Amino acid sequence: MSHQLPEITRRGLLGSGAAVSAAAIAGCIGGSSDDGDNELYFTQEKGWAYKFDPIVANGVPTAQVNEQIYEGLYTYNEDATNSLVPVLADGEPEVSDDGLTWTIGIKDEATFQNGDDVTAEDVKYSFEAPVKEETENAAEVNMIDSIEAVDDKTVEFTLKYPYAAFNTVVIANIVPKSERDGNEKDFGHSPVGSGPFQWVEWEDGQYVLLERWDDYWGEQSPNISGVEFDFVTEQSTRVTGLETGESDVIETVPPQLWEDVKNMNNASIASSLGIGYFYLAFNCNEGPTADPQVREAVDYVFSMDDAVESFVEPAGVRQYSPFPQSVVDAWDFPADQWAEIPHDRDIDQATQLFEDAGVDKDYAWNIIVPPDDMREAIGQSVSNGLKEAGFNNVTFERLEWGTFLDLYATGSEDDYNMFTLGWSGSPDPEAFTYYLFAQELEGSTNGTYYSNDEVDQLIMDAREEPEQEARREMYIEATNTILEDRVHLPAYNTYNSYGVANYVSDFTSHPSSAIIPLSTGYNNVNVE
Amino acid sequence: MSLLRYTAWRIVQAVPVLIGILTIVFFLVNAIPGDPVSIMLGPSPGVEQIAEVRAKYGLNEPVHERYLNYLASVAQGDLGESINVNSGMPVTKLIMNRLPITLLLTVSAFAFAIVTAIPLGIISAKRRNEPTDHVARIVSLIGVSTPSFWIGLMLIIVFATHLDLFPSRDLVMPWTEPGTGSRVTRRADSQLEIISLSIRHLILPMITLGTLQMAQITRIERSTMVDTLQDEYIKLARAYGVSERTIIRKHAFRPAQLPVITIIGLGLSTALGGAVLTETVFGINGMGRLIIQGIHQRDYPVVMGTTIVFGVTYLVGVIITDISYAYIDPRVKYGDQE
Repeated sequence: MSHQLPEITRRGLLGSGAAVSAAAIAGCIGGSSDDGDNELYFTQEKGWAYKFDPIVANGVPTAQVNEQIYEGLYTYNEDATNSLVPVLADGEPEVSDDGLTWTIGIKDEATFQNGDDVTAEDVKYSFEAPVKEETENAAEVNMIDSIEAVDDKTVEFTLKYPYAAFNTVVIANIVPKSERDGNEKDFGHSPVGSGPFQWVEWEDGQYVLLERWDDYWGEQSPNISGVEFDFVTEQSTRVTGLETGESDVIETVPPQLWEDVKNMNNASIASSLGIGYFYLAFNCNEGPTADPQVREAVDYVFSMDDAVESFVEPAGVRQYSPFPQSVVDAWDFPADQWAEIPHDRDIDQATQLFEDAGVDKDYAWNIIVPPDDMREAIGQSVSNGLKEAGFNNVTFERLEWGTFLDLYATGSEDDYNMFTLGWSGSPDPEAFTYYLFAQELEGSTNGTYYSNDEVDQLIMDAREEPEQEARREMYIEATNTILEDRVHLPAYNTYNSYGVANYVSDFTSHPSSAIIPLSTGYNNVNVE
Repeated sequence: MSLLRYTAWRIVQAVPVLIGILTIVFFLVNAIPGDPVSIMLGPSPGVEQIAEVRAKYGLNEPVHERYLNYLASVAQGDLGESINVNSGMPVTKLIMNRLPITLLLTVSAFAFAIVTAIPLGIISAKRRNEPTDHVARIVSLIGVSTPSFWIGLMLIIVFATHLDLFPSRDLVMPWTEPGTGSRVTRRADSQLEIISLSIRHLILPMITLGTLQMAQITRIERSTMVDTLQDEYIKLARAYGVSERTIIRKHAFRPAQLPVITIIGLGLSTALGGAVLTETVFGINGMGRLIIQGIHQRDYPVVMGTTIVFGVTYLVGVIITDISYAYIDPRVKYGDQE
């Protein structure tokens, strides 16, 4: 079902509407003037933190704003295929043979919005502050042992261990030490960075306003004069705002409204697969799912292909391994081979396997899912399949986040036999293996308690192996076992999707949800 | 007891009630599984880091100690800082930002309800069992039984999307300075235009939130007016040949308002609750959305802060109702022995 609506001109609502209402209500004509600027009105899904300070900010909505104000030494390329694109850095990092020392030069011309040069001291400060101030971001830089400003434009990181994925750390935003040091409390209320947009103001719960920094040091100046962010949590209200011209771009087109937006006369969808992974996981610690045969039986009770097709597409795609497509492409992983591993639905086969494993028909299954429609649908499919396989005692619970997070990693059979969850990380295989399967993270981010020492060793070794080909082999070997043992049943990945009005040109979606590319090496958004 | 003393006494009485509400909500919220830090950090590594953040927000202390500390802070006017909803922001500031939006919405919804419901109820009672009465009763029945979010969505589809008459979201404060604020008000040239924008933005959410109140007040107004018009003193007035219009205006209207005032007074807190859905549908970030976010994200200071506001609003509604009773009906006393 889709609405076929007459095309609405941008701001027609605000302009003509104000005039009409002023005439009707106040008895005079007072239409709003079109000042001819070309600001972009971007509607996010969720609200911001109190401070727009990358040292303390935690969460995607704030990061999306910060990414316009601040820059990192590097950023991801257009496809997030793990290739670093220098921003403040003057080239590739120099990495020592043992992988422990990373030396990075800074561009001479790089300056902050207050006119100061970007220096090695600023970089050192930006990476040390989260640990010194014990902010929520401290864990992201805890592999750094020390940072030295070799000279004004050269910084040297020494790591505690050869952390192979350090290139995903050096994309962090750099703040000017002179502005923030001693002013930590207020810096996030009038932020200063080196990015192409500078801070104007914000109103809690209503909007954040940025304007183009006309003296931007970089090669390309943005086409748009500024960007105003607001947020609307209700999906249909967001989509309506795009329809009526109240928003130029909206974040996240939900699957049930995908066709509506696609068929709009005045808008289209920009999307790219995120750096994410959604899955069904088993409790391998206690209960029947500790037995690989039972996990295989569960794989037979439903069709993940059908579930994803029905409940996730077109807002996402089927994924057969823990690695999103960008990682698969960059690392040349054998995705086709992994796609052969899951079974099609076969209740007879499932029943036979349950019997062989000695699972009692009266067993009380317990499946928990977080408050998310897509993940709920996957869990529900498994629940229905178990009932078809002759189990009458299947509890399926959609829990609030707070409750879910308390339960999903306990390893207790009383809390769950299975759960659905997702993981979004950096474009490095480490993000989708170490956090989800490493034994040292059992009870933290690993709720499976899958104990296979060989796989664990491969994952841990791959973290510290500087040689990419050797890492690749390790990850393939570990993943083969994980998939064959059905620790997880990989499910899908979602698109980072945006509804974009037709008068907005060159808007593109990035695989990292924190990045809204407005003026980059590969695009320059304009509002016509 | 004078009206002033009575009001003061009622306010004093309200304090222990408010402390009671705070106590119950504090322990209830803390009893829900999950805590703000696990939600803030999501599934993330580093037990050490989680412990540090918990300590930072004082969440590692026993719950009774946190309760006592909280009460002490509240007594000093400090409602703490938001943990998740707007991390680091003082709750007082957060409430001061969001409360005007919800008050504007709620008060205007009530104004809409009263202005439409009272005449409708009176006309309905006057023309009892005539077509006008049937229409009014059907309208109020639909109003009572239709979910407000559905009304809101229908209004958006018809008046915002198809007819392009009203905006589909946001509210504009009428006192916003022209040329400042969001994209809606930044283009305005005059205060008159801001007021016009404010009204246009307000109309759809106001009708959405006010419809239930309107329907309830209409029904109560009609039934009490029907009863009043049957009273002996009204019959006597009719016998004296007093016109029907004068009877309603001078003799029947005031006494018939007592139950209506009860509905309005207690409806104030109900409307604040109803604001949650209306604010969600219209993308308005007011108190309604704030308390929901607070509960979902286990943001204890936000939940407690909004509870205080909701509790105070409820108590104010009750006190105003009681005082209005005494004002409208001289037979109602201020509660002392004479």
